[in-house]
Formats: sequence, C-alpha cells, structure tokens
Amino acid sequence: MPIIILALIGFFIAAYMALFQFNLIDSVWEPFFGDGTRRVLTSGISEAFPIPDAALGALGYILDVVTGAIGGRDRWRTMPWIVIIFGLAVGPLGAVSIGLVMMQPVVVGAWCTLCLTTAAISVLMIGPAMDEMLASLQYLRRVHDTDDRSVWRAFWGMDTAPVSASVQPEVTPDVA
Amino acid sequence: MWPRLINAALGIWLMAAPAVLDYGVPAANNDRIMGPLIATFAVIAIWETTRELRRVNAFWGAWLIIAPLLLGYEGAAVINSIAVGVVVIGVSMIRGKVEGHFGGGWTALWRPEHAERAND
Repeated sequence: MPIIILALIGFFIAAYMALFQFNLIDSVWEPFFGDGTRRVLTSGISEAFPIPDAALGALGYILDVVTGAIGGRDRWRTMPWIVIIFGLAVGPLGAVSIGLVMMQPVVVGAWCTLCLTTAAISVLMIGPAMDEMLASLQYLRRVHDTDDRSVWRAFWGMDTAPVSASVQPEVTPDVA
Repeated sequence: MWPRLINAALGIWLMAAPAVLDYGVPAANNDRIMGPLIATFAVIAIWETTRELRRVNAFWGAWLIIAPLLLGYEGAAVINSIAVGVVVIGVSMIRGKVEGHFGGGWTALWRPEHAERAND
C-alpha cells in the first residue's frame, strides 16, 4: 500500500512536468536551482522520445499504481502474472529515473528539483516491491519442480492449488 | 538500516560535492554519475529481501579510489573521491539485521535445495 501512494505522488509530479513540456502551462516550479527545471525539461534528452519524457514517466507510474493495486494479499500465488508485471514496471522505471538524474548535470548542466524527487520515489519503490516478486518466482519454481502442474497455467493463476504451510514462503507482501 | 543510510548520504554528497568543493571535470562528472548509483543501491538494500545488493557499492567504492589516478583529478577532488570510496566499501560490508529466511531467498530460484534447507 505505501508503494501505491508513492506511485500516485510520482504520477502527479510527472504529470505536472508533462503539462509544462506540452506547453499547457507557461512556467514550472523550481525552488533551488534557478531555471534548472526549465532547462532540463526542454533539453534534447527530454525531447528525445516521441512524447515528452515526463509524460512517459507519468504512464509508468500509472502502470505501477494499477499493477500494484490489483489482487489481494495472496496474489503472489493467485495471480503471479500481475506481480511480475509490477516488479518489471518498478525496476526499469527506477533505472530510467537514475539515468536521467546522471544526465541532468553531466549532459544538460542543470539540476531539476522535481525530477530528483520523482527519481527518489522510483528508487524507494524498488525494495518493497521485490519481496512479493520473490514469493511469486519461488512459487512458480516449486510448481515447476514438485508438481505435474503447468507453470504457464500457474503464472496466469488458472489453477491455483492451496500451498501447504510447510512450503509457504516467509515473504509477506507489503502491497495490496 | 544505518549502514544503508550512510551510503545513501555519501551518494547524495557526491552529487553535491563538485559545487560545494568547487572542482570541475573530469572529477565532477564521475562523482555526479557515481553518486546516484551509490545512493540507489544503498536505498534498495534497506529491505531485507534485496539486502545483498549492498555489495554492489563495494565496486563503486573501489572505482572511486582508483579514479583520481586514472582520470587525473586535482585538488580537493582527489581526497574526496578516495575518502568516500574507502567509507563506502567499509559500510557496504556491514550486513545488518536480516530476520526473514524468505524461502531460501533469490538463490532458491536456481538452486532449489536452498529452499528445502531454509524450511528445516
């Protein structure tokens, strides 16, 4: 649940920066680095994609919110596919954010407070998302090893057998 | 927790250091790249399931120690890079408290016997 709140905050900040990049608002908030945010958001890197990078970020956070919210506490075995999409969404989003943080001073020569904030949010989401990811992967591994059940069907949650207490992972997901 | 917070703070310090200590490239660029990397791995390693990623920071720390020689740093940047590198390596060695077994952890995924041992 804390991850979903973080992702929502990330979405609102990214969406705000995207509004500036789409020229829907004239100025952008920057408390520390002068016109740093403006320079970063109008840099060649920010405009290297078909749509502005903050808009891509906003889409990424929405994917995190949706895949973080679907399903209940035992979704690591009832719907592994959503857990793994969630884990894959959280990881690369963090990696891209950090890559952009490196490029701000090195390539653009400016810092951007809100970009640093969203990068910090992305990094904070990775750790807590991974326990659930691990639980799902271990579950699929056990299906693969010990049962004549299909990993493919288990991945999509099509035949979720009750897991006996002795093999239940100690991982208890934080989310959902 | 605190070893991870120390390395995260050192990573953020590296991002600010070129401005605070007033040094330029190549040291500034290297520190502005290594800083976010070190802070990121430190923060991810706060959680027990991903704690072992703390070890990655030992590599970045080693690079900080040799970078002044290889890239030709001058002045305060030399001391800063080496000092931060040494502390980052030292702190990354500290495992901290890990209470969960997590079904054998990530190694259980490719070595299932680890999962069985963890359940004994």
